[in-house]
Amino acid sequence: MTKGQVISGEFGKIIARQKSGQSIEIGELLISDSNDSKILLQVYDLVYGSQISQQNLELISGMKLEENTEFELFDPNLRNYMLAIMKSLVTIKDKNAFVSKSMPGFFSEIREIKESDLSFLTKPKNPLFVGNLRSGSKLLDVQIYLDGEKVFPHHILIAGTTGRGKSVLVSNLLWNAVGRGYCGILVLDPHDEYYGRNKTGLKDHPNKENIIYYTSKNAPIGTNTLKINLDVIRPHHFEGVVDFSDAQKQSLNLYYKEFGDKWIESIILEKNLKLGKLFKDDTLAVVKRRLLYLLDLEFSNNQLFCKGVFQLNSGFTTIRDICKQLEDGRIAVIDTSNFSGAVELLIGSLIANEVFNKYKSYKMQGSLNSKPVISIVLEEAPRVLGKEVLEAGPNIFSTVAREGRKFKVGLTAITQLPSLIPREILANMNTKIILGIEMKPERQAIIESASQDLSDDDRTIASLDIGEALITSNFARFVTPISIPYFEDVVKDTIKNKEEVKYEFSELK
Amino acid sequence: MKFAHLADCHIGSWRDPKLKDTSTKAFSKAVDKCIKEKVDFMLIAGDLFNTSFPRLDNLKTVVTKFKQLKDLNIPVYIVPGSHDYSPSGKTILDVLEEAGLFINVFKGSAENGKLKLNFTLDKKTGTKITGILGKRGALEKKYYEKLILDNLENEKGYKIFLFHSGIDELKPKEMENIISQPLSLLPKGFDYYAGGHVHIVEDKQIEDYGRIVYPGPLFPNSFAELEKLERGGFYIVEDDKIRWEPIQIYNTLKIPVDCNHKTPEKIKDEILDQIKDKELNNTVVLIRLQGVLESGKPSDIDFREIFTRIYEKSAYFVMKSSHAVKTKEFEEIKTDARNVEDIESFLIKEHLGQIKLENLTLEKEEELVRNLMKTLSTERQEGETVPDFEKRAREEASRILELDL
Repeated sequence: MTKGQVISGEFGKIIARQKSGQSIEIGELLISDSNDSKILLQVYDLVYGSQISQQNLELISGMKLEENTEFELFDPNLRNYMLAIMKSLVTIKDKNAFVSKSMPGFFSEIREIKESDLSFLTKPKNPLFVGNLRSGSKLLDVQIYLDGEKVFPHHILIAGTTGRGKSVLVSNLLWNAVGRGYCGILVLDPHDEYYGRNKTGLKDHPNKENIIYYTSKNAPIGTNTLKINLDVIRPHHFEGVVDFSDAQKQSLNLYYKEFGDKWIESIILEKNLKLGKLFKDDTLAVVKRRLLYLLDLEFSNNQLFCKGVFQLNSGFTTIRDICKQLEDGRIAVIDTSNFSGAVELLIGSLIANEVFNKYKSYKMQGSLNSKPVISIVLEEAPRVLGKEVLEAGPNIFSTVAREGRKFKVGLTAITQLPSLIPREILANMNTKIILGIEMKPERQAIIESASQDLSDDDRTIASLDIGEALITSNFARFVTPISIPYFEDVVKDTIKNKEEVKYEFSELK
Repeated sequence: MKFAHLADCHIGSWRDPKLKDTSTKAFSKAVDKCIKEKVDFMLIAGDLFNTSFPRLDNLKTVVTKFKQLKDLNIPVYIVPGSHDYSPSGKTILDVLEEAGLFINVFKGSAENGKLKLNFTLDKKTGTKITGILGKRGALEKKYYEKLILDNLENEKGYKIFLFHSGIDELKPKEMENIISQPLSLLPKGFDYYAGGHVHIVEDKQIEDYGRIVYPGPLFPNSFAELEKLERGGFYIVEDDKIRWEPIQIYNTLKIPVDCNHKTPEKIKDEILDQIKDKELNNTVVLIRLQGVLESGKPSDIDFREIFTRIYEKSAYFVMKSSHAVKTKEFEEIKTDARNVEDIESFLIKEHLGQIKLENLTLEKEEELVRNLMKTLSTERQEGETVPDFEKRAREEASRILELDL
């Protein structure tokens, strides 16, 4: 169906006149055909066009408004119209698509996109479903997949204002990654929303054996109670989590050097260092108090009691168990809703360090290729990747952001304030899924660090409705507009044909 | 009320002629102790035997001890463990239970695909006992996932739950490689959870659950376990008091040797120096070597002379572990597994996925390989002819592979 005709413009700003009776929307995908190829165009602005001068238009309007004169234009469809301003996304030839280097012919017709135009969008080897292709506000029957094995280690940024669908998108991504084998995903879940303890969630997945869930309180049947032994904590795990002074950091390191695994207990029990008294009493007292508070420990009658997640006699293998599950391509959801931000990040730091160091050693051993990629899902990412935080020094998450892709470890960072993340880290996030963002500085931060040119898409991003998103990625052919399906619908689609296997308990007496 | 809690007797586990009867001796000693202590009943939380069809001489001793307990009206309640079943689901335990020597408490019914367990009542004390067996590769996890909890958790009275599984949250550091399951799969509200499978000695009070106890093996089952535990034992529980009763069969002497920057000759001298003033009567000597040799190969260490000198001091048995010794030329170790099962498991996992068959998932393939390995490592039983043995092996393999062989 013809929607308009190219009339003028320049490369990156092609202007087409809209055919009367047709409507063109911002974000709409259109096709301009030529002899042996076609150009995929996207509308990024709309303006009025008229054959009547501005002065006469104002006069006509005044006659209607002020004098109520009925006024009928001769050939109104010829005289007044809409102009669509478009950019070319790709040139399509047969089943291949290339970056456009030419413009559609003068007066060439533009038409509505059809599913068959998009046959170059093939399903990648490790498909990660992100949503359905959207043309303006119209949904196309074309599913958009990214190659999960590529996008996860190159980091994903999910940016959008609250209520625009970030959680639904992440739920969908996780749901679709379950049981694929090519990736392990660690989810630090501060709102306890992804497992679905009391609602639809990952627990309802037919391959739920590939999901592990750790929670600190009332673990649902089959899930784990989160307990971490104090022995596994090292001083460097606090980097970027707790702001210790230099003297305090030195005391942590010296205690670790002397007492090994039992360094935290030794600080709390105020054991003496062989080297003698190297710190002021105040320094050690503050360290002790901060550790007691942070790790939820109690010290009374010269004895140490554990009240929370961090334990003296259990949880020896928790961190390694989680890593092993991730290495087996499973999804590990850690419910951190009961913890303070610092405790959540400490737990994340423990796991992320273990994963990152293991994968580094696999690379040295030459066995990294056989391992699944690992992604760490971080909500409110500026808490660990923010400029202010990183001024105090790097942490494991910023290290992963900078070096992780070499070791197949990536971040999936979620935020509504991308401008708080340093530009070089944002630029390292090679896939960005952008949902509606009202604030101009936030849009600007994304636009400036995007994998594809988004300089004309400011309005498009501002006008994204709930559940609408743009994907810009080194691994996508063009800035792809998508519509995110409802999570409940995704779940229903997956489980509608699954029958539960009935077990026989053959050894039962 | 007084009861004994044993697990992981692994009768018939050691193959070396000098140690092959040790687990049977440990079992006899444990039973004697229980009789002396006048326990009301005895619990065995899996892996009574090391194989589903144990050697007849071991079986005879075990049956004699069970008979003794039966005659003294000391009932024995068990759940089978991962070692007790053959791949075809057969076990000698069924025969012994039929003979009334003990009661397998894994009792109940399947209800709409769910597992409903029944309690077994100990008439003397009124204790209610139930439990779930252990399977190879922790396949019993599915049973827990399908378990109906209401009847178990709402039952009044003193309740004991027998299980043969590792618990994620309670696993010690050195057992990170064993397959385990979350604590949340256990039914809540029992007074005593009698565990087996994980060879650790542990007694923990867990919020919402109760006392979760692992007595460890009756006799350590491998070099590493002998090093760590030195001896086996079991728990005796009397009202609220609990104590671990050691079973001492042999003394142990550990000789750790750091080989770094040392020649094979120096290492020999160091070992001999360590035993110089020691009494080694009735002692199992464990030599563990690790590190990078200054020169030569591990085989250059004169173990023949070391062993001779140790045996001259009347040691009962000498074992060495030198897999962690490296030469300067070859420093690579391919696996850090410490026992045969770990290495088998590592190798199976490494090679999974090479057989491409429809409907053969990695889990199924792993189970199939494990079952096949188990069947093919079965030994000919006493009195069994070679053709009968071959026929049995072929039938087992045929059943596992679902092929006519």
